[in-house]
Amino acid sequence: MKNPLKKLFDDTKPLFTGNGKYKKYEPVWDATKTFFFLPSPKNTVMPFIRDHLDVKRYMSFVILALLPVTLFGIYNTGYQAAMATGQSASFFSCFFSGLWTVLPLIVVTYAVGFFWEFLFAIIRGHKISEGLLVSGLLFPLTLPPTIPLWQVALGISFGIVIGKEIFGGTGRNILNPALTGRAFLFFSYPVSMSGDIWIAADKMVDGITGATALAVNGTGGQAIGSALSSQGFSMGKLFLGLVPGSVGETSALCCLIGAAILIVTRIANWRIITGGILGLVMTSLLVFLIPGGKETWANAGPLYHLFAGGFLFGITFMATDPVSAPGTNPGRWIYGILIGFLTVTIRVANPAFMEGVMLAILFMNVFAPLLDYLVIKFTASKRIPNV
Amino acid sequence: MEKLRLSRGFTPKLEGLPDSSVIRLPSGKTIGLCAEDIPYIRPKLLVKEGQQVQVGTPMFTDKRDNTIQYVSPAAGRVKEIRFGARRRLLEVVVAPDETDAFVFFDPIQGDRLRDLPKADLASHLKQGGLWQALRQFPAKDTADPDHFPAMIIVSLNGNDIFSPHPALVLQDRVADFQTGLSLLERFSHRIVVSARHSSLKALEQIPEVKDRITHVTPDTYPAWHPGAVLYRLKQDASDNTSWCVSLDHLLMIGRFLNTGRYPVERMVTLTQAGDSRPHLLTRQGAPVSRLTSHIDKNSIITTGQFNGRQVPADGHLGFFETTVNILQVQDDEEMFGFARPGLNKTSVSSTFLSALFKKPSPVDATLHGELRACINCSYCQRICPNDMMPNFIMKALLADEIEEALSLGLLDCCQCGLCSFTCPSKIELAPILWDGIQSHHKDKA
Repeated sequence: MKNPLKKLFDDTKPLFTGNGKYKKYEPVWDATKTFFFLPSPKNTVMPFIRDHLDVKRYMSFVILALLPVTLFGIYNTGYQAAMATGQSASFFSCFFSGLWTVLPLIVVTYAVGFFWEFLFAIIRGHKISEGLLVSGLLFPLTLPPTIPLWQVALGISFGIVIGKEIFGGTGRNILNPALTGRAFLFFSYPVSMSGDIWIAADKMVDGITGATALAVNGTGGQAIGSALSSQGFSMGKLFLGLVPGSVGETSALCCLIGAAILIVTRIANWRIITGGILGLVMTSLLVFLIPGGKETWANAGPLYHLFAGGFLFGITFMATDPVSAPGTNPGRWIYGILIGFLTVTIRVANPAFMEGVMLAILFMNVFAPLLDYLVIKFTASKRIPNV
Repeated sequence: MEKLRLSRGFTPKLEGLPDSSVIRLPSGKTIGLCAEDIPYIRPKLLVKEGQQVQVGTPMFTDKRDNTIQYVSPAAGRVKEIRFGARRRLLEVVVAPDETDAFVFFDPIQGDRLRDLPKADLASHLKQGGLWQALRQFPAKDTADPDHFPAMIIVSLNGNDIFSPHPALVLQDRVADFQTGLSLLERFSHRIVVSARHSSLKALEQIPEVKDRITHVTPDTYPAWHPGAVLYRLKQDASDNTSWCVSLDHLLMIGRFLNTGRYPVERMVTLTQAGDSRPHLLTRQGAPVSRLTSHIDKNSIITTGQFNGRQVPADGHLGFFETTVNILQVQDDEEMFGFARPGLNKTSVSSTFLSALFKKPSPVDATLHGELRACINCSYCQRICPNDMMPNFIMKALLADEIEEALSLGLLDCCQCGLCSFTCPSKIELAPILWDGIQSHHKDKA
């Protein structure tokens, strides 16, 4: 028996292709169809056998690697709200109240993102690329749970249109689209993106501010480490992620699980992640050894720098976006190390931008083609000429 | 024997390894001389339909150099001359008769092979229809007899993973092998004979051959391709114009010089998923339909899974071809194909469960996806045996930056096809690179 869904696509095909009535909307129809039925046309040129990996599966694996982060982020959003309002914090109530907060962010992002993607595909007559599936999940995970939905819509619009579509779509963008959208919100609506906004609760009990670990500073000679633990940011809590912060960034553990999935399946390049961690550890050790600044993040040491804030999330899921990262191995090492270096530098040197990783990655995105250029020139000069 | 290393490359777990027995196939009703597998040729026909030919009668020549003859592998009547689009010559088909009459050439052996001037040797081979077996890097055009190559590479293994086993091809042909090598020694001081590691054990049973092997390559595809061997051996730019010749052609040259007859025997393998077939001893130009009793309608026939050409069901094996693959075409769009666990899906990445098992997976001749823009994932860089960056070269070529592409090593490409194989965006990298090499070569000529 023929698959009824397949029949539906076969029946509607004349409407959307050739001289069909809705020919304009072919990209939309095609994207829907290929989501359900993977196309696999016959090879007519060598090589006649091909790898089964395609961009759809490639991007699906990023989504898969994001699942632990997403699910934990949903739970943590509910948990933080329950803690802040002094309610009971059973697992299910936390998860569902978190879902109630986070799901709208994800739904709005995908809806608006697909609107732009479809619009550009229809006007320019190209196929819809799978990159949006990843950008559309990454973007809400970088936002505070309290952000108004209209800002979510505006942010993803900027990210997709300016960050990606005006360059020609997935594969041709210079910057990571999700981070471009976040940077837009960060600078346009600072009130929604910084300060005590990281807990989605109406009324908070006394002593809870809803700030992130990166906003903490020791006061009156208190060292940064003890200041952090006295305000509830113990190393264990930061590692597990039961702290306020952007939806997806808080859990170092879940980010590391995601990194492991991406590295084992060879979807993300391990050099970027390793280089990033290396750069961060080395730089934070260096500023740790410089005397003074005992109360500030300069003195926090590598582990706090690693587990607090969005560094692991950024280096695992944002920096490894192959399109905006360098395409050569030495370039990837430099890129990763400099992201780690810049993250710590921004955190330490400029308290106005507490979260340095977003700016570090965007900055290095811009430099990725230059890194590639230098590496390619160098490797080409090492080859035995053959012209 | 020197061991060559290959840090990249990839051997997919494929079904269809031929077994090591040999059966002799009776010749078919037709024998073809194919023009499609000959790179760069601009053929000029020398025969007409209905004309009688002998083994060794020139059938067409190359307009670029009309001393090069492509000769008939059978005696009989020219049954049909097939043309493709824009009257491009596809093949000349002969209906063979029983006589097996042949054109006789002088045998050249021993002292004469050592003393005859090089130019005479070359023109002898050209008349005999065998000079074109020698190919010159980097574009793999017919060798230029006036050029003195830094080395001549004889790869004992063929283009495909399942090409004929050299020990079986060499059986009882040691004399031809030695004569062939003596000829090559007249043209270059350095003769490189390379063999796959897995072929070595059986080759050691033939001491005369074993002593001549200079390099052993790993079993990872495409380490034994002449282009990959050259890339590993070359020291400076003068090595770029080395020559190469396949084992099969070396033996043909040897036999031609020993007997004065154009040799028509050829060992081929036929591979099919889920099947392990014997090696087939047949004729050059045998019709592919004779090689197997049944070809499924949903399949294509190729002469190399990675870098062969597609042969129509009524086509014939070409001068350069020793492997026939029958590949299934699953004409089916898999539901949620991108989200399946994939126990039987071949991939370089580990995104399918098949990565956990050693079992070979069946392959089919479909794309498994759709064309997308390059996402810079570098899978092609990671797999290229000759340390190229196919993604950057592809972009340079598409932007018409030929100098840039050349400086990135375009001409080191050995046409193994792995970059196209692995690309998740399904970009036809190998043909784009090959077109770049060809157009550069044509511009230079």
